[in-house]
Amino acid sequence: MGHGSSVLFSIGPLEVTGPVVTMWVIIAVLGFVSWLATRNLKEVPGPLQNLAELAVDKLRELYSDGLNREALDKYLPVLGTFFIFIITCNYSGLLPGAGKLFAVPTASLSVTGGLAVSSLLFTLYAGCRKKGVWGYFKVLCGPSVALVVLMLPLNLIEQVVRPVSLAMRLYGNISGEETAVEQMSHVLPVLLPVVMQVLSLLFGAIQAIVFTKLVAAYLEEATEEEEE
Amino acid sequence: MDTSAIIALAAMFSVAICVIFASLAQGKFAASAMDAIGRQPEAAKEIRSGMLLPLALMEALAIYGTVVAMMLVGKI
Repeated sequence: MGHGSSVLFSIGPLEVTGPVVTMWVIIAVLGFVSWLATRNLKEVPGPLQNLAELAVDKLRELYSDGLNREALDKYLPVLGTFFIFIITCNYSGLLPGAGKLFAVPTASLSVTGGLAVSSLLFTLYAGCRKKGVWGYFKVLCGPSVALVVLMLPLNLIEQVVRPVSLAMRLYGNISGEETAVEQMSHVLPVLLPVVMQVLSLLFGAIQAIVFTKLVAAYLEEATEEEEE
Repeated sequence: MDTSAIIALAAMFSVAICVIFASLAQGKFAASAMDAIGRQPEAAKEIRSGMLLPLALMEALAIYGTVVAMMLVGKI
């Protein structure tokens, strides 16, 4: 995959790389904007609170056809956070200096892998919370006892492969956009990369939507009521 | 043929084959979606919003080939 992320400095035993620093900045910016939007909550909202309410409504609408009502109420904060974080990371690749001065987080397989693994852990947690560990395991064993030998290995493999595909999809799209922009700038310096970056506006949003919609679909599968 | 030539060819085939089949699949899917919109224009919005996920999933399959090629190119 070309070069790995360069280590900038170390805090004790943990190495801090470029993407991590960018993520810290994004977390600080998002946290600050959220704090600004939610202090002094009023009945008739001011502009920033209005924007935040609009965002929450739109996010709720986005996942409402995939998730059942109860899971949506409980887990909208997690899904919304994934979405806002991923779309901000994707769009940070459009800022001047992306790739050279600072590293785009989602263009690193480690970052997308981390997001995918945390979504897997979250799905396991939500499923076990709803049905208990044994209940969740029974779902993995398939619809009838006779098929356990076939279904259990397949389902276990599927549980492992899903985060891998989530990570690779997001990583491949974003780092592929970066690579394409870089190669295009060798061909025709300013004009051609701009075309690609306009496309990146669309694809960055699409990838964020797809990632979180898939996490929502896996959540739905983990927490759905069994048909009687 | 020495190793780096084989690796280069492998990277090339990896991307090419994945992209050919992914684009065929997406084209077929988009064509039937357009047919459905043509038959029932009132459903256009729902069909268009339901197209997003399958297209992205098929795109991901092409991306897998690209990721493998990127890994290989690093080893030439």
